[in-house]
Amino acid sequence: MSLINKVHKKQSLALAIASVMLMPVAQAADVDVSGFISVGGGMVDDETSVSYDGYSEEDLTFDRNLLGLQVTGQVSEKITATAQLLARSEKEYDVTAEWAYLAWQASDNGKVRAGRLRTPLYMYSDSLDVGYSYPWISAPNEVYYLPFNNVDGVDYYLTAALGSFDTSFQVYYGSFDSDFSFEDGTEGYASLRNQTGVVGTLGKDWWNLRAAYHQVDLTVDINSAALAGLVDQISNSPFASIVPAVAVEDDKATFAELGINIDTGLFVATAEHVEFEVKDSLLAKNVRDYVMVGVRLGDFLVHVTGSKADDEIADLTSGIPVSPQTQPIIDGLNAVAQARDVDREVLSLGTRWDVASGTALKLQLDDVDDAAGEQKVLSVALQAVF
Amino acid sequence: MKTVFKSLAAGLVLGLSSFCFAEVAVIVHPSSAVTSLSEDDIARLFLGKAKSFPGGGAAVPVNQTEGSAARDKFNEGICKKNASQYKAYWSQLVFTGKGTPPKDAGDDVAVKALVAANPTMIGYIDSSAVDASVKVVFKLP
Repeated sequence: MSLINKVHKKQSLALAIASVMLMPVAQAADVDVSGFISVGGGMVDDETSVSYDGYSEEDLTFDRNLLGLQVTGQVSEKITATAQLLARSEKEYDVTAEWAYLAWQASDNGKVRAGRLRTPLYMYSDSLDVGYSYPWISAPNEVYYLPFNNVDGVDYYLTAALGSFDTSFQVYYGSFDSDFSFEDGTEGYASLRNQTGVVGTLGKDWWNLRAAYHQVDLTVDINSAALAGLVDQISNSPFASIVPAVAVEDDKATFAELGINIDTGLFVATAEHVEFEVKDSLLAKNVRDYVMVGVRLGDFLVHVTGSKADDEIADLTSGIPVSPQTQPIIDGLNAVAQARDVDREVLSLGTRWDVASGTALKLQLDDVDDAAGEQKVLSVALQAVF
Repeated sequence: MKTVFKSLAAGLVLGLSSFCFAEVAVIVHPSSAVTSLSEDDIARLFLGKAKSFPGGGAAVPVNQTEGSAARDKFNEGICKKNASQYKAYWSQLVFTGKGTPPKDAGDDVAVKALVAANPTMIGYIDSSAVDASVKVVFKLP
């Protein structure tokens, strides 16, 4: 309960900052307001099979709506304050502050920001909510699956020209607490401490390379009666010493990403590979990637994306001798490790039509081949920036 | 009939030529120390990758308003992006605090007046609109 209160307090603080910033809109010329919107929905081919990307009904539902508003105010010559507020239909249009930070333009090319920032995990992390900025309706689920996209902390962002190449460098430090759901819907609460990461990009007009590395001390409470029961059972057995290797308690988690983006005007391609590992825990090592290729013809973009989750299940039973007495514990451990494994391949065909400046209409068909079943999803969205 | 075709053809050639030969001139304040810029330098300024002129000194790029012929030609020729790619590029930066697009300042006349009055500004106008109030640092044929 106290944890929940804490989250709400932070949220209301961010809202207070935002409303204070919105007030002077009428008078001040130095306040910029911009926004983005996405309305859409989808349907699945077979309700009796696995759901995907939140879609589980055979009837077309238009329930994937999002409105974002960003306000930036000039505090002084070198300092700006920015808040981005988001309302999503999935969350009953509760307004949340995705970003709220102060930025100091430290030099011509360097910027220091403090507050609630977007964690620069992926190539499209920064504009993850702004569907208009990328080809898909939403970024590939297999790779863009981590439940946390924000961090409360500070970062330093630097851009530089190296000869005829453009480079950027970002480093950050922070922490975060949040409720979340695993991909299978199991809920939990996570605390991220001493989170830090570096991101580098190198590019020229039509290509861009990106590499990122992050680490964090992670504690996760998983809401599972079966798991709690198993941990109790092991704690009271001769193998109590393996409990720390099962629970996610102040464990070092690492996340690495490599990405490439190509846009020649006619041909478009993006690929990303990510690996997430939490040592000494029941969490599987996540190995995920996708490749997208597309052709742009006038105001139309047609693209094909193959994405894949190929997780490696944690081995929790290596210290336990096999015997009839230990078998229930071994089975239990294998089951909880297995539950965190995702093996899935998805082939998506999509189109983006730039209906007017700042507005895109998108259609997407996903063919899902999951270890737990097959599914097809058809989705549609109208996305705009203003 | 023949003359109809001839005048049609002539009209087409005229129309095409006026389209093809409308040069876009990149302009700065006459007192600016900058004498010429490369395509790369200009693209960096207008894509938010650089905030000062290569020789030093703050640079404030200004755009023409959406839909203007000079803007489309400039974005395609210098920034290598069509109107929707340009918009998508900035939407990745605007909503992350990593950049703010150049302000939309109006047409040839409005941009020329702004640049003529501000030593830090850089803009672009149809070359036919160039006069002594501004200095040309690049011509996009």
